[in-house]
Amino acid sequence: MENSSVYIIVPVFNEGFTIRKVVVSLLEYGFSVIVVDDASTDNSYSSIKDLNIHYLLHEVNLGQGAAIQTGIEYALTKGDAKIFATFDGDGQHRVEDIMEMITPIEKNEADIVMGSRFLPGAFSNASFIRKTAIQTARIINFLFTGLWLTDAHNGLRVFNRKTASLLDLKENGMAHASEILFRVAKYKLRVKEMPVHILYTDYSRKKGQSIFNGIKIFFDLVFNRIFD
Amino acid sequence: MTAIQILLIAGLALSAIYVYLKFQSVIADAIILLLFIAAGIIFVLFPQLTTKIANKLGVGRGTDLILYVCIVFFLFVLIRMYARIRKLEQTVTKIVRDNSMNAVVKNEKEKARN
Repeated sequence: MENSSVYIIVPVFNEGFTIRKVVVSLLEYGFSVIVVDDASTDNSYSSIKDLNIHYLLHEVNLGQGAAIQTGIEYALTKGDAKIFATFDGDGQHRVEDIMEMITPIEKNEADIVMGSRFLPGAFSNASFIRKTAIQTARIINFLFTGLWLTDAHNGLRVFNRKTASLLDLKENGMAHASEILFRVAKYKLRVKEMPVHILYTDYSRKKGQSIFNGIKIFFDLVFNRIFD
Repeated sequence: MTAIQILLIAGLALSAIYVYLKFQSVIADAIILLLFIAAGIIFVLFPQLTTKIANKLGVGRGTDLILYVCIVFFLFVLIRMYARIRKLEQTVTKIVRDNSMNAVVKNEKEKARN
């Protein structure tokens, strides 16, 4: 199976510093790359516009969840798209990990493969506070979805067309990560976790999630369940 | 009449006029509005009435009853507004998303032509 039938969705908001490096390394593997620009105000676009990518632009900022959903909907219109992936544009993810995660999808052993920082073989230089926050998020995810995973809100995911067409994310903000799990549980999709490398740099740490974001995500999940 | 009564009645009357002018109401709306304002003015002029009604419902004071009714009413309004905002958010998202996809299609068509 050709790597070009693997469509990587990279949601971008002001990642001008890292996005070109990320996209170039993805293209080196022969993947098809979809960049969804969520109304960045920096040089994100100009730094990658010469590259052979699919580029979609949100004219106003909607949120990472919305950007991913746009990327997924666009990828679904591509007839040659067999495998889909979400990948962060800030350089935290390792491209080699995608190759490992494709295998269970290819062999039809799983519908969605999620990266985990906490499986044997994984690596992440996360701080203690962040690790604690993730453990809390795991528990909240379990309460909302019934899925007990080793990681929470890991942006590196690989999934098949069936999963892509079932996702239909309504959460525009960071709560989309939990919404994905919710759909996985609802449609009984086969989920598998695999160890990945996450590299926190000073740059990405600044853009990372704070405790406040976690609380906001929780309230988004609770209130939006009532109204959808 | 005490000062607060004058203030409240003036407030109610002004709100009624504002609502009527702003929302271009029909006669039916004006009548409903009038009834609400009349009820408000009556309760302001005769606060003992509220206490009588409150006692019948098992509440000690008239003002407490008004407070409870207001809380429930505001809760209802808040929930309704939140639902509308959420719906609006989804509409905006759809428009922005459609625009982004249309732009790509347009670009690809232009590239193919060149």
